[in-house]
Amino acid sequence: MLNYIIRRLLILPFILVGVTMLVFAMLSMLTPYERASLYVSDIPKRQGAIEDIIEKYGLNDPIHIQYWHWMVGHEDKNTGEVKGGLLRGDLGFSTVGHMPVIEVIKHRLPATAELALLAAIPLIGLAVWMGIQSAVHHNKLIDQVLRVLAIIGWSIPTFVLGLLLLMFFYAQLDWFPPERLSTWASQVVQSGEFTRYTQMNTIDSLLNLRFDIFVDSLRHLVLPVITLSVISWAFLLRVTRSSMLDTLRQDYMTTARSKGLGERTVIKGHAVPNALIPVITVGGMTLIGLFNGVVITETIFNYPGLGKFMASSAAALDVVSVLGMTLFSSFVLVFGNLIVDVLYGVVDPRIRLD
Amino acid sequence: MLNQILDVKGLETRFRTDEGIVHAVNGVSFTVDEGETIGIVGESGCGKSVTMLSVLRLIPTPPGMIAGGTAEFYGQDLLKLQEEEMRHIRGAQISMIFQDPMTSLNPVLTIGKQLTEPMLLHLNMTQEKADEKAAELLEMVGISGASERLKDYPHQFSGGMRQRVMIAMALSCNPKVLIADEPTTALDVTIQAQFIDLVKRLQKNLGMAIIWITHDLGVIAGLAKRMMVMYGGSFIEEADVKELYANPQHPYTIGLLGSLPRLDGKHSERLVSIDGLPPVLYEPPTSCPFAPRCEFVIDKCLKENPILEEFSPKHRVACWVDISTGRSR
Ligand SMILES: Nc1ncnc2c1ncn2[C@@H]1O[C@H](COP(=O)(O)OP(=O)(O)OP(=O)(O)O)[C@@H](O)[C@H]1O
Ligand SMILES: [Mg+2]
Repeated sequence: MLNYIIRRLLILPFILVGVTMLVFAMLSMLTPYERASLYVSDIPKRQGAIEDIIEKYGLNDPIHIQYWHWMVGHEDKNTGEVKGGLLRGDLGFSTVGHMPVIEVIKHRLPATAELALLAAIPLIGLAVWMGIQSAVHHNKLIDQVLRVLAIIGWSIPTFVLGLLLLMFFYAQLDWFPPERLSTWASQVVQSGEFTRYTQMNTIDSLLNLRFDIFVDSLRHLVLPVITLSVISWAFLLRVTRSSMLDTLRQDYMTTARSKGLGERTVIKGHAVPNALIPVITVGGMTLIGLFNGVVITETIFNYPGLGKFMASSAAALDVVSVLGMTLFSSFVLVFGNLIVDVLYGVVDPRIRLD
Repeated sequence: MLNQILDVKGLETRFRTDEGIVHAVNGVSFTVDEGETIGIVGESGCGKSVTMLSVLRLIPTPPGMIAGGTAEFYGQDLLKLQEEEMRHIRGAQISMIFQDPMTSLNPVLTIGKQLTEPMLLHLNMTQEKADEKAAELLEMVGISGASERLKDYPHQFSGGMRQRVMIAMALSCNPKVLIADEPTTALDVTIQAQFIDLVKRLQKNLGMAIIWITHDLGVIAGLAKRMMVMYGGSFIEEADVKELYANPQHPYTIGLLGSLPRLDGKHSERLVSIDGLPPVLYEPPTSCPFAPRCEFVIDKCLKENPILEEFSPKHRVACWVDISTGRSR
């Protein structure tokens, strides 16, 4: 197992470097002029100023040198001070966010993480459990119902679902409002008495023993969580169901029954561990896919997370922010993949021991 | 006289499929005495596995269903037992090993876990005791370094080894009957021979009865005393092995024996195979199911399905034709 993890970790740097190269390649499709104006916020209004900037930051240098500078930073010829560089966390300055991209990410990540976690955990649990039930009761009523629900969930577009929910539960009933907190709660959260341990409102409010704020933050999360999860839930349910159906047909299931094991043991002890193997791969991918869903969901519910930031950056043609976010989400994806691979090894001895 | 332990009568099993109801087993009867070995042979799809799975009530329901018959084990009809009671029979009194050792073991559970499961279930053993016994069982079937290997997973064993694990598992609770459903088909020839030797030795030591299913007559000759030939979901001939080889009465049996490669190595003559395909019956048979492929066919064969009738003592055959004359009996 350790070997397997080490092998995965050894590949990791290569993948990450590959990702940075791709993003840099996208960036270098712009002319030096365009890049100069993207990266320097206050260009002096005089003749030749932009050429000076191009000269100063080496934007006309050979591409590999530029890549090197982009990665490790650029030395100022006058002061000798090294500035910027991806490795030191410089993803550029976001015009939309009015701060460096990395600061925007730090600032907004907790909101998105809170949304994604609250969506992911129940979604995975429910989808897997329902998928198993559906397969075990193949062609019975519960299977038919779940199949229809999954098809609906799978085919309804996220933005349609989000808008429908918003219309009904907010506009009509006023149960679940958009955004992240009510005004009063948001004032409390930003005041000095409230300690923001994790910046995730649900957790922080519990730690501060402010149950009113906890309830308020949950009310704001219900609709985005549903909107975000439905597609992945439907997909994961279908994957679990078909994987389980496939497992139930295997010869070793007959072997297990021929030993005299009860049906519960046969399902739980023999079928489920096998059926979950493909589910882990697909499930991991689905979670990573939540990151895409987040863009639409946060925009609909005006929820101040990374997805909304991504959408507004794209709308404002803020190339620096978009590429910075691309880089960030690629990293998330790569690490997500690593976790999936490790989990895969945990459940499947054939992978772990090879 | 030996005790009769299993007495199956008129067993019928059907499957509901999209094409119609498949009559997979149509009134099969046989008995098994304590410690004896019987063989069941027949082409692929004739219903051998379904027959034995029905006795253990392991037919997937739906689409399968046991439509009739009795299967008495020590006088108790297995087909009437509660599922709970049936579970105490499976793996404890009657156990089964399967055709494909590569797929019959659960790939994500250790050999030790799979091997100890029946003992923990049926013999009320503690885990330590069961582990100990599991290691002994592995030694018994000829797997060395047994206690170490209990921690291994099926993919770390070869096909022959896995089949040994399967038989160790099947015998772990000292069953009265072992059903072996083509256990050597997936093994190569030398491994096959070793495995058969192993089974013979185990039977000598443990004394269980064996029902050996195969479509390979060569294998059965060295193992069983009595054998049945199955076709289209029914037994069509039944006799002692020697008698059946010397004096086959059913045209299908003759065909099967003809297609047996000669064991004395003199197989200059080509392998005879029976033309045509085995039937899938969507109706209960009203004519002889073998008639379309039979060279001895007479009118009566197309009008009425023959049942097993005594040809000589302990030799029964289901055929309207006396093959020595080619006319009706
Ligand atoms: N689950 C099932 N659903 C539908 N039909 C089935 C099912 N299982 C078996 N059958 C049918 O029952 C018949 C007998 O099958 P069975 O598996 O007993 O054959 P067999 O004699 O064991 O053949 P083989 O030598 O290939 O193992 C076949 O015609 C098959 O199509
Ligand atoms: Mg079979």
